Amino acid sequence: MIYLDSAATTFQKPVSVLKNVDWAMKNLGSPGRGGHRYAMMAADTAFACREKAAKLFNVKNPENVVFTFNATHGLNIAINSLVKPGMRVVTTGYEHNSVVRPLKAIGAVIDPAASELFEPEAAVSAFKQKLDKKTDVVVFNHVSNVFGYELPLYRVAELCRQKKIPLIVDASQSAGVLKIDMAALSASFIAMPGHKGLYGPQGSGILLCGSDTIPIMHGGSGSDSLSPQMPSFLPDRLEAGTHNMPGIAGLSAGLDFVAANGTERILAHEKKLITLAADGLSNIRRVKVFASSDALSQTGVLSLNIEGLPAERAGALLAKEQIAVRAGLHCAPMAHNTAGTLPDGTVRVSVSAFNSTRDIYALINAVKRIAKK
Amino acid sequence: MINYYLTCRSLTYAQRSSKALDAARISNSVTRTPSGMSREGCGYAVKIRAGTLTEALRTLRLAQLLPKKAFAVYEDGHTEEVPI
Repeated sequence: MIYLDSAATTFQKPVSVLKNVDWAMKNLGSPGRGGHRYAMMAADTAFACREKAAKLFNVKNPENVVFTFNATHGLNIAINSLVKPGMRVVTTGYEHNSVVRPLKAIGAVIDPAASELFEPEAAVSAFKQKLDKKTDVVVFNHVSNVFGYELPLYRVAELCRQKKIPLIVDASQSAGVLKIDMAALSASFIAMPGHKGLYGPQGSGILLCGSDTIPIMHGGSGSDSLSPQMPSFLPDRLEAGTHNMPGIAGLSAGLDFVAANGTERILAHEKKLITLAADGLSNIRRVKVFASSDALSQTGVLSLNIEGLPAERAGALLAKEQIAVRAGLHCAPMAHNTAGTLPDGTVRVSVSAFNSTRDIYALINAVKRIAKK
Repeated sequence: MINYYLTCRSLTYAQRSSKALDAARISNSVTRTPSGMSREGCGYAVKIRAGTLTEALRTLRLAQLLPKKAFAVYEDGHTEEVPI
């Protein structure tokens, strides 16, 4: 099967990731839970992973790198730390439910600075209009998980800095492919999964913290054990319970893979594949492709629809052709509302460093066969 | 022979301290905080050898990684807090 669903999870992992997960299962105890060899090896493994993440994302202090179980977990912590009921939160028009639902659960007022697809200038203008003294927090989706649209994060971060508005970044689709610089962004939080562009296992994630935090989970931390409250210091404050050490060990190898290959090179490869797919697919009758005209503001994700064929049906037919894609709303109805692709959504193609042009030609040929029927 | 234990607020803090000491070529190891050295319950410390305390504290101060407390442990097991 050809795997083109890396926006959900990168399925093909570097061999080093698989080896590290296996090694962790056989050799590691729990960090912070003892002074014996297995616990201390786990501690060393976790610390090495924090340091690698701190280096890749320019975080001064590795204590501010918190392990989570996925990006949603990190976003929940970030939102819970900054947002209170009734607060006005400005977002992009392309947020995932991992942002929308926690905000709704708290009772925040979501005010999207919506703008057209692949129009970063329009996005900046929309934020300029929306950000005012009544804005309590900005939550910003760096790259749309539906369309691969790279939103102008650094320019909006500058607006937030000027207006002293706390910024939460959802880097679910950008970590590992785009430059993420915590110091340059002055973000309060940046949440990311370990299992997508960082090539770690599912169940791993990272939250970069630049602000005071409120835990959403309470329990053992291996520190300050006599206190009935969570410790006041990071990372312990946000890491209650046993760590996912196989996940962290795998993520550590994934970070090595990204650092060795370079985000720019990985991005260039993914862009090349997506441009090839967009060119090939847009020439097929009945097929509508959602692609950036200049490819500048699109990463390794592309949506399409086949006229007269619901997205879910098209996805199922592609699976029969041995091509794995995702179809439907991709947990991001806000993005579809902004782009006008409700209620059926789209078929989403997403690539990784492990895809080749051959995979894209196979996709184009399969879509041709399906669209002909 | 005296060993010193520099108690830290967390395991990660102890690991950062250890790395700073490594960079200054001060032999050290991260270890569980021995009983009696912490009032907060579980914790970690950086263990250093006799004769390196002053240089270790200077290094950690420069790195903004001062420990919570420092303890000397004597050969007979006697423990004594050392002013930082």
